[in-house]
Amino acid sequence: MITRCRPLLGTFVEITVPIGAGDAIEAAFDAIRHVHHHMSFHEPSSDLGLLRAAMPGDMVAVDRETIAVLRMAIAFHQATGGLFEVAVGRELVRSGFLPRKDIGRLSRFPGDTADIEIVDDRHVRCKRRLLIDLGGIAKGHAVDRAVETLIAAGIDAGLVNAGGDLRMFGYRNWQIYLREAGGAIDHMVVLQNCAIASSANLHNRRRHSGRTVGPHYGRAREPVLTDQRITVVADSCLVADAMTKVAMVDPELADNVLAAHRGHVLRQPAMATAA
Amino acid sequence: MSNREWGHLLAVPILVGVASVASATDYLSVAEAQRVLLPQVQTFVPFPITLSSEQLGQIKRIAGVAQSTSQPKIWRGVSGGSTAGWVLVDEVIGKHELITYAAAISPDGHVLGIEILSYRESHGGEIRNPRWRERFRGKTVNDKLKLNQDIPNISGATLSCRNVTDGVKRLLAIHAVALARVG
Repeated sequence: MITRCRPLLGTFVEITVPIGAGDAIEAAFDAIRHVHHHMSFHEPSSDLGLLRAAMPGDMVAVDRETIAVLRMAIAFHQATGGLFEVAVGRELVRSGFLPRKDIGRLSRFPGDTADIEIVDDRHVRCKRRLLIDLGGIAKGHAVDRAVETLIAAGIDAGLVNAGGDLRMFGYRNWQIYLREAGGAIDHMVVLQNCAIASSANLHNRRRHSGRTVGPHYGRAREPVLTDQRITVVADSCLVADAMTKVAMVDPELADNVLAAHRGHVLRQPAMATAA
Repeated sequence: MSNREWGHLLAVPILVGVASVASATDYLSVAEAQRVLLPQVQTFVPFPITLSSEQLGQIKRIAGVAQSTSQPKIWRGVSGGSTAGWVLVDEVIGKHELITYAAAISPDGHVLGIEILSYRESHGGEIRNPRWRERFRGKTVNDKLKLNQDIPNISGATLSCRNVTDGVKRLLAIHAVALARVG
């Protein structure tokens, strides 16, 4: 297999394909760049930039893929009683995890995911203004798009890894190493034809208004701090990526949602923990 | 897709404890990166320069980050006798990682592509140790890497590529002060 690596989506994206299939890698990176372009929080010209500039009720034209990701986000928001939330931009800007430039007063953005209304495959409007950040789901979607691109090109096995959220395809067993929250790689799992995603925040915290916060928020938009790595397996990387955030707060709820996606939260057996 | 294909998901995969793996990966040699970044270019000619202290100051002003070496690794991509693009190979050092990467820059100063050549990670203190870095530095440039071996696939801990994106700004500044007028 050959692997190439580029800086995209704020992290390092690796694409692995059989030797001789290297030409397909370019189109797969293009698929990721497309997601990066439309779903970046940082670019004012991205779909998220357009959505945060829109007034309540404004019809906003966005990319089809942005609509697809928002549809999934809304479904997860409903399925988790609001625990999965993409309007966390407000919290992430407030605590310094996302840049504040051009955003102004955060009180202007009171909305949550339930305020997003999908009009059709190209249009969306919001009932209240909100700051959408797709950091918890778009990376998984980008991995899925890259995998779909490789499969469409006739590649029979491969793997796409966007900063630790990854998906593999084809009849091949892959050894996937897991990085624990502290940074060390301590476990390995063998998988085939599925996606796996992990989240942790032990080393990604800030002090804000006299308390420690991380980039993950739970019920009532309270920061969630955990010393553990949360790992989820599913049939698509979007689902695995999104469900790590739910599993961080409520693993059973995540398992319920994942059952429809042939996935589950990866739990560490006691024996393995002791190893 | 049938349930049978996804049988492995129904049976919970077994986690196996492993001794800590140091992630060290070689993706592309310099020569391969040149071909990938500028596929139409016929030949790549090394283009050694030494930046003056005045140029180093200009680079820092433009890029906002300091250029540490006065002799950056540069290749000129030549097609039909004229410059078709530049390939600059650079490295950035993070808290726990050493990354060698290549950027292709057009004659008029636009980024045409970025490829990571190698990635070294350490949870010890080696990253800041020049002798440890030197072990890898020579390798990438000499093209004698053991490439195309299976790399460890790692889930977890999103790594920021900010060092590299800042590095590319510095390479664009090198282009502006030292290469733009070469033609």
